[in-house]
Amino acid sequence: MDVTVLDRQQATYPLELCASSVPLFQSYLGSGPIVDLKRPEAYLGGDGFHEFVYFPVGGGPEFGDSEKLNLVPPDAAPGYCISRTSSCQMTAFHAASMKEEREDMILEKMESTTGSDSRESFTKRKAEVVADHKSKDKRIKGEVEGESEVKTKCSTQVSRNSSKENSKACEVQKPDYIHVRARRGQATDSHSLAERARREKISKKMKCLQDLVPGCNKVTGKAGMLDEIINYVQSLQRQVEFLSMKIAALNSRVEFNVENLPIKEFPAYVANFPAAAKLPAMPNLTCFQLNPMQKEAVNCMLNETMHPPLTATEGIASASVSIPEQALSSSTITLQPFSTWNMDPQGLYNVYDMGFH
Amino acid sequence: MNNPHHLNPTSLKSRFTTRFLRALTKIRAQKPISSSSPTEIFRRYRRIKAAADKSMAYSVRSRRIWSRAMLWKLRSRSYRRQDPCSGRRSGKTNQAIMKKSSNENTTTRREDGVGFVEEADELRQLVPGGETMNLCNLLDETAHYIKCLTTQVQVMKKIADFYSF
Repeated sequence: MDVTVLDRQQATYPLELCASSVPLFQSYLGSGPIVDLKRPEAYLGGDGFHEFVYFPVGGGPEFGDSEKLNLVPPDAAPGYCISRTSSCQMTAFHAASMKEEREDMILEKMESTTGSDSRESFTKRKAEVVADHKSKDKRIKGEVEGESEVKTKCSTQVSRNSSKENSKACEVQKPDYIHVRARRGQATDSHSLAERARREKISKKMKCLQDLVPGCNKVTGKAGMLDEIINYVQSLQRQVEFLSMKIAALNSRVEFNVENLPIKEFPAYVANFPAAAKLPAMPNLTCFQLNPMQKEAVNCMLNETMHPPLTATEGIASASVSIPEQALSSSTITLQPFSTWNMDPQGLYNVYDMGFH
Repeated sequence: MNNPHHLNPTSLKSRFTTRFLRALTKIRAQKPISSSSPTEIFRRYRRIKAAADKSMAYSVRSRRIWSRAMLWKLRSRSYRRQDPCSGRRSGKTNQAIMKKSSNENTTTRREDGVGFVEEADELRQLVPGGETMNLCNLLDETAHYIKCLTTQVQVMKKIADFYSF
């Protein structure tokens, strides 16, 4: 018997649901079809819950992966809110148990109505569109495979308000074919149906990316959003370069004794930085000052990132000629220099950077 | 440890952190604080950046197209540094693999009504291994890549702050 998506989703609820997860969980269960995933801590803070927030991946062979992005897609939330009476004050465990109850109910109903074939509809399958018997007037219910979302809409018993999903239902009659319902006024040949399915997949993924990238909500249109995403990825890569430069500069100044710190516990210290500042093994460090030599090094790194064709030696030569002081206004190197030479579209990301602290 | 925010030891963040710290200690051990000349710092910056990318790619293993591509790139770079001939050899076999996978994907890479090819190409250049992906996979990989980059930035920020005090 296939392990159903529902069973797998049960398994992925980690038992270490701590108190900080409750807000995320509430938003996931308590709200309507549109799940509010715009909480920054959902994808920044608690590390166990990165896995919850992201959209489903392909639905294909990655499904069995334990630590991959996501098994509980946002759009499945309506499927589990059979009755909208779920209050927002549930504890995480209570919510998880209630969810299991509902899944059992769903499974029972599915079994009673459509038999065991329906279970196989939940598993991953290659998408095939049956085009021959499609007509706009026929009420063919099918399931669009390829997404690992579970739209459990039992035709009779479970009533749901998600009007968004009305165009596709999921009572599978033949397990090998994917039935797609054609909407009114649209072509019904297999090519356009497949294309439409693909386009909707892409737009769904774009929506999830929109949640990931801050400041993407204001921009509409796919091209604009893609530009935002590109800018964001570029800014993140530059941040990594900048930080590695910073660590390199600091490394050369400072005695770095990691042997004193237990490596396994260091991540926990890193996570709680204010507490970690009082480590006994830490040497007594004075406030770090950038001397002019190191400023030059930083400048050559900056020049390199801004003008990639420059080689290292050229960069250093140009840096020695003119040191842009405004880039290093403060004596201690912080992220301020990064923000001063940012271009305008990335002003958003500066605000976002501040949110890191 | 009175730690209310226990780190999940198998999470991406902790895996990356341990690997990166080990790499940092190695870099530290290789070259003692000889000089703070800009070239030295620059070289060290290069090494640290490569270590950061490597740690991130190893934390993700081969589960993702971008991590596989990044690992291959790093390995081929190190092979090339050790021995120029072997670099060419590995480059050839890997190019063959990449071409093959890109041939498989070219049929799905046509535009067919989705009108943002330029941005998609730009994104492909940003995400490692993006040239061989169709748009669907590209978006998936981008999301995961963004998540990993943010983790990387967070951890490195904390490490850098840790040293600057």
